[in-house]
Amino acid sequence: MRRMNQLGAVMLAVVLALSAVSCGQKNHSKENLVQDEEKAVRAVLLFAPMEKSDPDNKNIARTAFDITVGMAEEQLGVTVEYRTYTAENYQEKSYDEVSLDRARNSMDDFYLLNPDTIQMLGDEGKLADLSGLACAGNLRDVVKTANTINGKLVAIPQEVVVYGLFVNQDMFDEYHLELPNTPEEFLECCRVFKENGIETPVGANRWWLENFVLAQAYADLYNGDTTEQEIAALNSGEAKYSDYMREGFEFLKELIDKGYIDAEKAYVSEAIEGEGPDFLAQKTPIVMAYWGAANADTAYGKVDFQMKVIGFPSKRGQMPVVPMTGYGVSAEAEHMEDTMNVLEVILSDEALKVYTETNKVISPSKNVQVDCIDALKPLNDRVNENVYVLGSNASMKVEQWGNTCNIVRELLNGATVEECLAEFDRLQEESLKE
Amino acid sequence: MECKKEKKKDGIAKGMPLILSITLIFCILGAFVFYVAGRISREMSQAAIDSLSENLDLIRGTIEAILDKEAEFQKLIANEIEMMEHPEQFIESYHGNNTMVKLSLVPEGESEGISNLGEPFYPEKLDFSAGKTVQGLPVSKSYINHLGAWAYTMKCPVNRKNQQAATLYVEYIYESFDAALPNRFYNSMASLYIMDAESEKLVLKPKGMGERDAGHVDLGDFYRANRIMEQDVRNEITQSVKAGKNVMFYHDVQRKKSLIYMWSVNDGTIYLIGYVPVEAIQREGSAVNQNIFIVVAVMLIAFLICCALYFFTERQRIRARREREKERELHNRQLAEALQAAQVASKSKTMFLSNMSHDIRTPMNAILGFTTLLAKDADHPEKVREYTRKITASGQHLLSLINDVLDVSKIESGKVVLSIGEFTLSNMVASVDAIIRPAAKAKSQNFEVSVTGIKNERLVGDETRINQILINLLSNAVKYTQEGGTIWFRMIGLEQRSSQYEHIRVEVEDNGYGMTPEYLETIFDAFTRAENSTTNKVQGTGLGMAITKNIVELMGGTIHVTSEVEKGSLFAVELELRIPEEQVDKNFWKKHSVSRILVVDDEEDICKNVQILMEDAGVSVDTALSGEEGVRLVSGAKEEGRLYDVILLDWKMPGMNGIETAGRIREVAGEHVPILFLTAYDWEDLKEEAAQVGIDGFLAKPFFVTALKEKILEIHADTKCREENRECAKLNSLEGCRFLVAEDNEINAEILIQLLELEGAGCEIAGDGQAALERFKDAAPGEFDAILMDVQMPKMNGYEATKAIRRLEREDALTVPIIAMTANAFAEDVREALDAGMNAHIAKPVDMGLLKKTITQYMQRKE
Repeated sequence: MRRMNQLGAVMLAVVLALSAVSCGQKNHSKENLVQDEEKAVRAVLLFAPMEKSDPDNKNIARTAFDITVGMAEEQLGVTVEYRTYTAENYQEKSYDEVSLDRARNSMDDFYLLNPDTIQMLGDEGKLADLSGLACAGNLRDVVKTANTINGKLVAIPQEVVVYGLFVNQDMFDEYHLELPNTPEEFLECCRVFKENGIETPVGANRWWLENFVLAQAYADLYNGDTTEQEIAALNSGEAKYSDYMREGFEFLKELIDKGYIDAEKAYVSEAIEGEGPDFLAQKTPIVMAYWGAANADTAYGKVDFQMKVIGFPSKRGQMPVVPMTGYGVSAEAEHMEDTMNVLEVILSDEALKVYTETNKVISPSKNVQVDCIDALKPLNDRVNENVYVLGSNASMKVEQWGNTCNIVRELLNGATVEECLAEFDRLQEESLKE
Repeated sequence: MECKKEKKKDGIAKGMPLILSITLIFCILGAFVFYVAGRISREMSQAAIDSLSENLDLIRGTIEAILDKEAEFQKLIANEIEMMEHPEQFIESYHGNNTMVKLSLVPEGESEGISNLGEPFYPEKLDFSAGKTVQGLPVSKSYINHLGAWAYTMKCPVNRKNQQAATLYVEYIYESFDAALPNRFYNSMASLYIMDAESEKLVLKPKGMGERDAGHVDLGDFYRANRIMEQDVRNEITQSVKAGKNVMFYHDVQRKKSLIYMWSVNDGTIYLIGYVPVEAIQREGSAVNQNIFIVVAVMLIAFLICCALYFFTERQRIRARREREKERELHNRQLAEALQAAQVASKSKTMFLSNMSHDIRTPMNAILGFTTLLAKDADHPEKVREYTRKITASGQHLLSLINDVLDVSKIESGKVVLSIGEFTLSNMVASVDAIIRPAAKAKSQNFEVSVTGIKNERLVGDETRINQILINLLSNAVKYTQEGGTIWFRMIGLEQRSSQYEHIRVEVEDNGYGMTPEYLETIFDAFTRAENSTTNKVQGTGLGMAITKNIVELMGGTIHVTSEVEKGSLFAVELELRIPEEQVDKNFWKKHSVSRILVVDDEEDICKNVQILMEDAGVSVDTALSGEEGVRLVSGAKEEGRLYDVILLDWKMPGMNGIETAGRIREVAGEHVPILFLTAYDWEDLKEEAAQVGIDGFLAKPFFVTALKEKILEIHADTKCREENRECAKLNSLEGCRFLVAEDNEINAEILIQLLELEGAGCEIAGDGQAALERFKDAAPGEFDAILMDVQMPKMNGYEATKAIRRLEREDALTVPIIAMTANAFAEDVREALDAGMNAHIAKPVDMGLLKKTITQYMQRKE
C-alpha cells in the first residue's frame, strides 16, 4: 500500500513538472513563419441561371450539377466559379439576354445556354467547337444534330430536356376525362373543366407556351420520312415557317379567346413561379414544364395528387418537345484549356451517370440509361418510341425556340395570329438574305 | 447473518462521508469548469464579433478606396474634357477597360448624349434618385449593362467658364472589385456578397465566396436561402440598410450557429452581406475549449480511476484482514477443539485406565484368590473343581477384555481386514442364540428372535465379524437390561437395492435401562461407558460399541441407535451382503422328495416367512394358523392323495397345542410323514413328550431353510449318521499321538504338556524355533505326528522355523502338519502363518476341542 502511495506521488510530481515545463515553452525560432504562397488559384468561370431559393426545398438539378463539378475540381485541381443571373420579373433583362451579352463580350469561360442563344452565338462564332472532346463521342445523334452549327458542335447538355404537359390525373378522373391526344380533345377537356368552374384550365408563363405551337407545327416534319427535305425547303424559302406554325397559333388563340389560358397573367409570369402554385393547389389541372420539374422539389417533385406528364396535343397524338440546351464554351475563353478539361469531366459517362441518377432525367449519352419515375412514363414511352419534335434545330436557318417564344408573347400581348405569322415570314426573309 | 448486515451497514456509513466529499468536489469542479467555459465562450464570442468587424472594415475600406479612386479619376477626366475642344472625339475613341466599361457625355440641357459604344446615351435611363455619392459624385442604382454584368454609373459635371457645360457619365462594373477582394474568407467557410442597397440585388459574388446552389439573386433570396424568415429581423435589417447602418446578428445557417452581417460601404451605397459560421471564426477557441474539456475529462477519469483503485485496495485490505481474522478464529477454534479433544481423550484414557485397572484387577483378584484357596483346599476335590471353574471364568473374562482392547487398537489403526466367505444365516443365528439365550435366561430375561423377509440364507461376508457385531449388541442388551426384561433380536429382509445383494436390517431392542441423550452422542466413541448407579455393577471395557460401529462401517453398513432412559434402547444395523452366485444343491428338495410342506403356527408372520424362504426352492408351502386347521388340511391332503412331505408345527398355540396337534396329524397322516416342532423354547424338557406323539425332531425359531435341510438329512439317514458320528469321535481322539512343540514360555509349555497328556498324547518341547528345527532334523521320519509352533520366540521365530522345516530335504518335510499356536490372533496373523507354510492357526489360550479338531484334520496318524 505504501509503495503504491509512493508511486502515485512520484507520478503526480512528474505530471506537474511536465505541465510546468510545457507552460513555460517559448517559440525562439527566428525562421520566417510565413508559408510559401499557395499556387495561384486556377479558376474557370461559369455563367448559369439560378432559380430562386426555397427554404423548404433543395434544388436537385443544381445539386446534381454540383456533384459533377465537384468531380472535376477534384480531378483537375481547378475551381469552377459560378456567376449567375435571374430576372426578378418580365421587365428585367431575361437570362437569355444577359447570357448573350456576356458570351458576346467573353465575360466568362463557359455558359449554360438555351437553344436559341446556342444558335445565335453559334452563328456568330462566339462558341468554341467541342467536337474534339472525348465525351462528344458518347452523345446521342439527336443531341449532336441539334447542337451542330456550321459543322461545329457548339454545346453539349448534361440532360436531354423534354417538355411536356403536367396534368392532374385526379381532376381528369373527377370529370371523367381521358388524357387528350389531339388539339380537339384538349379543347374539349378545357371546355369541361371551364364549365365545371375551373377558371383557368391551363396554367401558363411567358416562356413555355411555344411548346403547343412547335408540337403541332413539326409533328409531321420530325416524325415523317421527309425531315431533311422539308427543312431544306424551309431554309431555301420554298416552304414557309408560317404555314407550319398557323395551326398552333390558331390553337393558342382559341385557348386564349375561350379563357382557357390567362394571357395577361402568362405574359408577365416567370416559369413555374406564375402557374406553379395554382397547379400544386389543384386549381389548375394542366401546366407545361420540362422533364426535370417532375423530380425537383422546387417545382413539381412533391404533389398531393396523382400527376402524369404527357406530350403536347398534335394530330399525331401526344408529342414531347425536345429543345436542346447545353454548355457552350466562349470562343475567347480566358481559361480555355481548364474549361475544356472541366467539360470533359462533367460530361463524361461517369459524371453523366451520377447526374442522371440524381436528377432522374434522360441522359445525352447513349451509354447512360436510368429508370424514370411513374409520372414521367407516358412522356418517356413516346421519347423511347422516337416520337417527339425538336424545340430547336441548328440546321434550320430561322432559330425556332427563342423566336417562337417571343412571337407567342406577342400573341399573349394581343397580336393577331396573322401578325404573328407575318413575323415568321419576316424572320424567314431575313434568313434568306444572309 | 445479522452480524454481516451490521458490518455492511457500518461499512456504508463509513463510506458515506467519503462519497459525499467526492460528490462535493465534483460539483465544485463542475461549477468551476462551467464558469470557465461560459467565460471563455463569452470572450470568444466577443472576439469573433471583433474579428469579423475588423475583416469587414478592411474589405469596406478596400472597396471605398476603389470607389474613391474611380471618382477621382472620373473628375480628372472631366477636367481634361473641360479643356478639350472636341470632347466627343475623345469619348468615341475611348476603348473600355475592365473597370470603366462605358464613357458617355451629355451636353447640358440635352436628353441624349454620346457614348464610347457609338450608341446614343439617354441619361434618364439611369436612376440617381437614391442620392448616394462618392466624393461628391452621384452614383446610380445598379443595373445590368450591355456586357450582361452588374454595373453602376457615376456622373460628373464638365464645366466651362465656370458653368456646367455637360455631364460625364462613366459606367463601372462590380466584377472589377473581384481582383481587390480576398480569394478566401474565413477559410472558404464564410459567404460574402456585394449588394446594391437601392435595388437589394446581389451584384457580385466574389470568387471563392458563398454557396453555389442558393441565395445569389437578391436580399429576399439571401433570406430564403439562409432561412432568415423572422419578419421582425427583416424589418430591422431593412431599416438599418435604409439608414446606412451596419448590422450583425447570430442566426443558424444550415444548422450551424453563424454570424450574419450587413456591412455598409460608402454610407450605405452598397452593402457587404453574408454570414460566417461561428466555428469558422472560433476555430482556435473551439480547439482550446475542446482541449480544456479533454483535460478535464482526463483528470476526471484519472480521479475516478484513483478512487476506484483506492476502493479496490481498501476492499482487498479489509478482505485480507477479515480472512486473517477468520483464519485466526478458525485456528483458535481448532486449538480449543483440540484442547477439548485432548482433555476428553485424557479423561477417557484416565477413565479407561481406571476402568481397566478395575476390570483387570477384578478377575485377576479372583484368579489369584482362588489359586490361593486352591493350594489351601487341594485335598477337597469338590472345592478344587469349584475354584478351577471360577478361575476359568475369570480367565475367560480377562481374555475377552484383552481381545477387545486389541481389536480397538487394530481398528483404529486401520489394520482390520475382513475375511470374506460364505455363511448361512441359520448357523449364525443359531450360534448367536446359543450364546445369548443362556445369558438371558440367567437374568430371567425373555429373548425373542425373529427373522422375516430374508430371501437368501446363504450369503457372503465376514461371518466372524458379523457374529461379533450381533454378540456385542445382544450382550450389551442383556447387560443393560434389568432382570425379567425382554430382548428382541430381529433380522429383517429389506427391499433389495440390487439383485446381487441381500439388504438386511438387524434390530436389537430391549426394554432396559436406556441411555441419556448426552451419552448417545458418545456411545460409539472408544473408552466410554455408560455409568450410573444402576450400571456401575456392569463390567465392560467400553470398547464394544466403538468396535461394532467400526466393523459395520468397514462392511459399508450403517448403525443407528435410539434410546430413552428407563425405557430401553433400539440398535439398528443395516448391511448389504452379497448373495453367492451358485446356491448349493438346488436339487436337494427333489432328491429328498419334498414338494409340499405344511406350516402350522398361530403367528401369521412366521407362516409367511416360511413361505418367502421356500419360494425359490420349488416347494409349495401351505399354512394353517391353528392346530385344528392344520389337521383339517392334512385330512384334505390325504383325501386328495397328496400328502404333505414335511409338517412344521408350532408348540405353543391357542386351542389345540403342538403336542395334541401332532398326535392328531400322526393319526391322520400315518407314520411316514416327518413332523417337526418349530419352537423358540428349549426343547430338552419336551423331548420325551414329543417322542411319544411321533415328533421327528425340533427346529429352532426362527425358521431357516438350511436348518430344515439338515433336519431332513438327519431324519433320512439317522442311523447311518449316528454310526458315522461314533467313528468321527474316534477319529478326533489324540490318543497315542506325539507332537513336537516349539514354545519358549515354560508355563505355556507345561500347560500344553499337561493338556496333551490328558488326551493321551505325548510331546517334546523345543525352547525356540532353532531348537525345534534341529530336533525335527534329528527325528526319525514319522516320529512326530505334528508340530505345534509358537510364533514369537527367541533366536528363530515360528515363521522362519516353519520355512526352514519346509525347506529340509526330508520326505516328511513338506507333509508334516505344522500348526501355529500363538497369541497373535488376528486374521493377518493367520494369513502370515499360512504363507509361511503352516497348515493351520490356533489362537492362544488353547481351546482343546479346537486343537483336537484341527490336529485330526491335518495329522497323519501313525501306523
